[in-house]
Amino acid sequence: MSDPDAYIALISSLPGSERLFIAKQPPLSRLRLDRRLTALTAEDARVLKVLEHALNWSDYDMDVTDAQAIERCKEALGDIPQSTLRELFVERLDLRTAVAALRLRKQGAGPPAGTYGMGRWARHIPANWTDPTFKLDGPMPWIKEAKQLLDAGDPMGLERLLLSVSQKQLKRHASRHYFDFEAVAIYVLIWNIFDRWAQSNAQDAAKRFEHLAQQAMAGAAEIGFDGASA
Amino acid sequence: MNELVLTLGWLGIYAPMALGAAASAIGCSIAGMASIGAMTETEGGYGRFVGVSAFPSTMVIYGIVIMFTLNRDVTPENAGGLFGIGILSGIALMYCGIWQGRACAAAINATKEKPEIFGLSLAPAAIIEGFGVFAFVFALVISAGIS
Repeated sequence: MSDPDAYIALISSLPGSERLFIAKQPPLSRLRLDRRLTALTAEDARVLKVLEHALNWSDYDMDVTDAQAIERCKEALGDIPQSTLRELFVERLDLRTAVAALRLRKQGAGPPAGTYGMGRWARHIPANWTDPTFKLDGPMPWIKEAKQLLDAGDPMGLERLLLSVSQKQLKRHASRHYFDFEAVAIYVLIWNIFDRWAQSNAQDAAKRFEHLAQQAMAGAAEIGFDGASA
Repeated sequence: MNELVLTLGWLGIYAPMALGAAASAIGCSIAGMASIGAMTETEGGYGRFVGVSAFPSTMVIYGIVIMFTLNRDVTPENAGGLFGIGILSGIALMYCGIWQGRACAAAINATKEKPEIFGLSLAPAAIIEGFGVFAFVFALVISAGIS
């Protein structure tokens, strides 16, 4: 259990995590966030780095193997002393394991031998491979919708759903921590979700821009050299 | 034996003042840290933050008044009463001050996002103040029965 008043000034200096998702402009850049996080003690900064290093996709190489990723997560789990952070870390691993299993099965793969992924359902998922939701509707009520989005070929919708589920999980833990290190770590993880969310919006914008550009180019082809439409 | 009893009596007289001062110091520092953090994030309303962070300072005032009320010649007959009232009222004031500081810190943190809830966000701190007043008033009432 961390000191409940350890980071009062730091937490109070951060914009509310709710505002991250409704603001038109990002209220806090990573640069400013990192500057604020210099208030963390060396040990807390190390734990936060371990947590982010294991959870951020951008910290993984494109050619990372399952075994390497699992090893990194296992090492991280051993390096995180706070029970709340360990719990939310395992919840995120559960989510990723279930989604990875959905994707693997959609590609036509058979049930993995023994365990699959990491977390509480690593044995349960291969044992229930043929069930549409791996019999995880109870602990993971979102998995049905995730499967539908995956089957419908809507990766953006799936990404949004997973970010939303992850954010809700973090908010649930945040309700028990106000000014301690766990509150800071949860804020940073929510900020990372906001960052991914903003990037997915940017991708949306890029798609729309491409569509408009193609329309404009098609229109341009119909314009004659004298400026009049053909 | 009498010396120990008399010492406890003197401890009881000074305890509300000492514990009240500790309560106010801790409470104000907790709320003060929140107000400093909020100032770096907001563009105005700094005076309100500083004002809220001073809320727990009332605990030391209650402690001083209780100390003066209990202050009298300490005898083996009244030392036990002085000790009991002084220590327990001091502990009550200390808890009220620390937790009021946390309530004020939460209010400041919430107000920086939604200034319109400023008044309502102070309700928990005000309720805790009420508990401090209970400890204060009834310490005065009970102390009247000590010779």
